[in-house]
Amino acid sequence: MILASECDVANEVICAPANVNELFDFPTIFTIGGFEVSRTEILMILAALVTVAVLYFGLRQQRLVPSKFGAAVEGLVGFVRDDIARSVIGPEGTKYLPYLMSLFFFILMGNIFELTPFINFPVTSRMAIPFFLSLITYVIFMFMGFARNNFRYFTETVWPKAVPIGLRWLVGLIEVFSIFLLRPITLAVRLFANMVAGHLMLTLLLTSGLVFILAIPDIGLKGSIGIFWFALGLFMFLLEILIGVLQAYIFTLLTAIYIDSSIHFEH
Amino acid sequence: MEGNIEALTGALSLVGYGLGAVGPGIGIGIVAGNAITAMARQPEMQGTIRTTMFLGIALTEALALIGFVLFFIASAG
Repeated sequence: MILASECDVANEVICAPANVNELFDFPTIFTIGGFEVSRTEILMILAALVTVAVLYFGLRQQRLVPSKFGAAVEGLVGFVRDDIARSVIGPEGTKYLPYLMSLFFFILMGNIFELTPFINFPVTSRMAIPFFLSLITYVIFMFMGFARNNFRYFTETVWPKAVPIGLRWLVGLIEVFSIFLLRPITLAVRLFANMVAGHLMLTLLLTSGLVFILAIPDIGLKGSIGIFWFALGLFMFLLEILIGVLQAYIFTLLTAIYIDSSIHFEH
Repeated sequence: MEGNIEALTGALSLVGYGLGAVGPGIGIGIVAGNAITAMARQPEMQGTIRTTMFLGIALTEALALIGFVLFFIASAG
């Protein structure tokens, strides 16, 4: 959207960016002690602040009948507690609730930034952020796995006793590959890929739609195809709300599943 | 006729990712479809089935995601 309004429509109908990276890379605004701060970092900190603010103001006063905002926040917190932490991990899932909840809210905020006017950039579409989040998850479920099951966590993964002896090496190979290597990577890439695709699609559809509509005086009725693109872009906008919430849910749910699978290792 | 090999590499990785996404697409369809059937038959098991479904989807989707990463590697290299 921002792109289209800056584009000189009168001279050039197609004013695409030179490279797709321009949609995701932002110039450094200022530097603090060697750390270059660009729009992405500011948005990331904003997402964290919004998360803290929502939780603080929503749950500040514990009343019998909560306010409207408080009820909404309580609903979300209750959803993470009951539907993710407790239903997946079991009664001791409440211990992991702080991590799961901050994960859920931070990713949700990062995803919703994609659709917020004047921000229009999902911070989770930079690989560093989902990868760091999934690295924290990886450390937690690896630590819990080794803490609860000692070294058996590794040996029984490599050589699973429950599987018939002929297939053990194959199942062990697949399990080691998938648990120790693929889990953190896919967890991060899933969120990253969904957000990149959504951001690209929204930018392309809405920008090209607007460019074509603005160019109607120059190129005549051919430009009316832009109305179709713009309508499709608005439809994708609605779909992206669903995807943003769903990806936050899936990331949190899979984190819970991974933690559960290393705590209750026997089955 | 001399072709543009650089452009062809990117296009080939696109085709490769498209082919790689077919299998996981079918797989996720099977997982989700069977999960719906199971939920319809035993609504009281919904929580367990949903969890298992997402785990299955995560494992299946891993293949498509590997393809996605390889697409970037192949186009960049």
